[in-house]
Amino acid sequence: MIIQRLLTLLLTIAIPGIFYPAEAATTFQGSLQEATYLSPSVNNGELPPITERIPRTPYIDSISNDQSVDSGGTLQLLMGKSKDTRHMVVYGYARLVGFNRDLQLEADLLQTYEVQDGRIFTLHLRPGHRWSDGHPFTSEDFRYYWEDVASHKQLASFGPPKVMIVNGQQARFEVLDKLTLRYSWDHPNPDFLLALAGPRPLYIYRPAHYLKQFHQRFADPEKLQQQVDTAKIKRKSWFALHQSKDHQYKSDNPDMPTLQPWRNSTYPPSERFVFKRNPYYHRIDNQGNQLPYLDEVIMTISSSKLVPAKTGAGESDLQGRYLRLDNYTFLKEGERRNNYQVRLWRTSRGSRVSLYPNLNTNDPQWQKLFRDVRFRRALSLAVNRHEINQVIYFGLALSGADTLIPESPLYQPHYRQRWAQFDLKQANSLLDELGLTQRDERGIRLLPDGRPMEIIVQTAGESTEETDVLELVHGSWLAAGIKIHSKPSEREVFRNRVFSGDALMSIWTGMPNGIATADMNPAQLAPTDQQQLQWPKWGKHYQTGQESPPDLPEVQRLLELNQQWREATGTEQRLTAWREMLEIRSEYVFTIGTVAKVLQPIVINNRLRNVPTEGLWNWEPNAYFGVYRMDRFWLDQSQTAEGASH
Amino acid sequence: MAHYILRRIMLMIPTLIIISFIIFVIIQLPPGDYLESYIAELESQGESVDPQFIANLRQQYGMDEPFLVQYFTWASGMLVGDFGYSFEYGLPVTDVVGDRLFLTVLISAFTIVFTWLIAFPIGMYSATHQYSWGDYGLTLLGFLGLATPNFLLALVLLYVANVSFGTSIGGLMAGEYINAPWSWDKLMSVLEHLWIPVVVIGTSGTAAMIRRLRANLLDELHRPYVVTARAKGVPPFKLLVKYPLRMALNFFISDIGNLLPSIISGAEIVAVVLSLPTTGPILISALQSQDMYLAGSFLMFLAILTVFGVLVSDLALALLDPRIRLQGGTNR
Repeated sequence: MIIQRLLTLLLTIAIPGIFYPAEAATTFQGSLQEATYLSPSVNNGELPPITERIPRTPYIDSISNDQSVDSGGTLQLLMGKSKDTRHMVVYGYARLVGFNRDLQLEADLLQTYEVQDGRIFTLHLRPGHRWSDGHPFTSEDFRYYWEDVASHKQLASFGPPKVMIVNGQQARFEVLDKLTLRYSWDHPNPDFLLALAGPRPLYIYRPAHYLKQFHQRFADPEKLQQQVDTAKIKRKSWFALHQSKDHQYKSDNPDMPTLQPWRNSTYPPSERFVFKRNPYYHRIDNQGNQLPYLDEVIMTISSSKLVPAKTGAGESDLQGRYLRLDNYTFLKEGERRNNYQVRLWRTSRGSRVSLYPNLNTNDPQWQKLFRDVRFRRALSLAVNRHEINQVIYFGLALSGADTLIPESPLYQPHYRQRWAQFDLKQANSLLDELGLTQRDERGIRLLPDGRPMEIIVQTAGESTEETDVLELVHGSWLAAGIKIHSKPSEREVFRNRVFSGDALMSIWTGMPNGIATADMNPAQLAPTDQQQLQWPKWGKHYQTGQESPPDLPEVQRLLELNQQWREATGTEQRLTAWREMLEIRSEYVFTIGTVAKVLQPIVINNRLRNVPTEGLWNWEPNAYFGVYRMDRFWLDQSQTAEGASH
Repeated sequence: MAHYILRRIMLMIPTLIIISFIIFVIIQLPPGDYLESYIAELESQGESVDPQFIANLRQQYGMDEPFLVQYFTWASGMLVGDFGYSFEYGLPVTDVVGDRLFLTVLISAFTIVFTWLIAFPIGMYSATHQYSWGDYGLTLLGFLGLATPNFLLALVLLYVANVSFGTSIGGLMAGEYINAPWSWDKLMSVLEHLWIPVVVIGTSGTAAMIRRLRANLLDELHRPYVVTARAKGVPPFKLLVKYPLRMALNFFISDIGNLLPSIISGAEIVAVVLSLPTTGPILISALQSQDMYLAGSFLMFLAILTVFGVLVSDLALALLDPRIRLQGGTNR
């Protein structure tokens, strides 16, 4: 590991020396190798040779020297819906700035970037970097987005994305030269780089040379009108046409150039999308091969419920999505027959499923109780997490509160353990202390107004996992004198019930990012979003100003700390904010976590190399396979299908 | 006759208008709209969306318009062949459905022929050999087909086909033929996959048809004209086909009305389980994600086919069976 690091360091230091003078690129030509897939096109002149395709200062990926890599081959994967084509942007993970495996930000599409006071961002593009159609990628692409798309009255009638606005102030955008740009605000904008690195990235650039033909300001009016008339769009106008072509994230428009490792070549609607390698991709390995190693990625759309069966039949070479732990035995059975192996990665949410007492519920009695920390602690203490882990997750998960997992650098053991031990005695005494001593003939405690303490827990009813967990919680809470009923409903109905305060409690997945670092946004800990089911109305207040602000001091403190984090200029200050927020979260038990780090089966073709044996499977920040760099995955051609092992 | 047909067609217009309105209302009835279910779906995997982006989409899709305006835009569009726009696919409805229509008709046609081929001989045999071992045995088989849940049978067949014949799971052809031009290999691949849905959907239909054919035939077999014909020495099979079978066919003709829409929609649940590239799964997912124009136009299409199918079967009945009069005092 350390050697590899050193090597990277050496290379990044050594290579620019060779590369910087414009003509010096030829000195490296000897070892730059053309991919066999592209050779025919290069030979007949359709494509320029590799020296002219890659940027003059490419991103150089290090692989250990003794490894010989086979470039080429086709990878099959399965998705459940045709709009899942967007997952190739997630897996491909070419970002201006992206996370590396250690979750540190580094320049990727960008050559370098500088940040001043957390509010002035200077971005440097790679000289000679090109779009997948060969057109140069320059600051014009950024200018086009900012001035002609994001600030355009009709194209973006609701203004630029939220990330680009800090305290009501829009970004100041400057083009310093053809390859240098600057975004600045008066106050720090800690979200900016994170948004660029996100699994669903903030796109602050567009392929201007392609989109201009659909833009009123640049296009020939007659031609544009003609295109509008024949286009398959809902509203016949040039901006609807522009919007329908501008699908960088969804990547379903094969005509649109991209910077990702693979570009889509299939027009929707289709059951099968073929992604072909981007001949102008900006990364090479230290042996002179251009990435990605895989020539084609074929995405087959099938019913999501059939994905485990199809994977087990060997129809996918790389599959994690739509597989669940309970498919494991079935998948394992097909391993030998279909020449793949099942690896177990770990999910990284704060908790696989969490119970959310609704602090904004409309029922005044329950609201008072839920806002009392003693009550929430009692509920948490009365959950037998060990039992849940053993019964549903084969004892392979990590039980505890809904907070960071040990992989996070901010993790402290007590965050996860505090108020999360199964202790019925303490739970009962806490409940008694609250004055809930009356019980009915079933032994259910009574509320002060005489109603029995029966809680209806709303579920979105999508997986049996949630109901299974509830069944076990039901047993142990009953011993504390509280009865729960689960009520499944459609996802939208479920959410609206929680948002409106009709729901007392809900069950949903836990904290989204369990492996946060101090530089990642702690907004998930404070009431900043309506989607936070424990305090939807406070979240809505933060977002829109409607509803009332939080009135609990500890929750107000969370908001203050969140603000402190936003205004911090250095990692040290951010760390302080994070620490106190995590402390408050574990002390006040706003959500009741169960188990985390549930295993995720990942099916990998036996010939596929460079896929980590153990990894974390999550949307944010890992972007599923994204930070493991799918462009480095390669298929071992030497190995025959029979008897391959790794 | 012409007058009758004209009158029936005129009656279809108000019927279809009412149906279109009901369809639109019902699709809009569940709380939320496409964008809300879209957000919910993204949220469920941790993906969050910029509120600006959603606001833009809402405006782009015209979802902020009043209900009646949306209805009239949709309904009047249909008159000129514009079936609206699918939010989920970002394409006009005709484009989304178009490609799949052919394969749907293919499967349905095969299934119907399969059902007939099985059901007719068995039904005739059961009726002529009532209460024999053969009758009981075949009836039992038919009922087994009816009683086995289709999706279960589908899954079992998928697994068996995959393990013993190496057929790829789900879909209607091996992956490499999707989007490829038609060729001999592609056709073979389709046939290799086709038998599973045909058998699964077919088995559930045969039992009902066997029983109905048997019951109708039994009614006829003891009629005096059959006895007379037999007495005159008509060979048994010729007799059966020429007289009682023709009489017993009325139920079959009136079924045509239901047949037309089912050719287009296919068996939805089976198609979802088998991941068939037919129209059924599109309809179901459109209803789930509240992709209202896609779902609405599709249902409307089915309604039109049903209404026409009923007319066709009424006319066919009148043609084939002289005993049936078109009511309403019209002259033939």
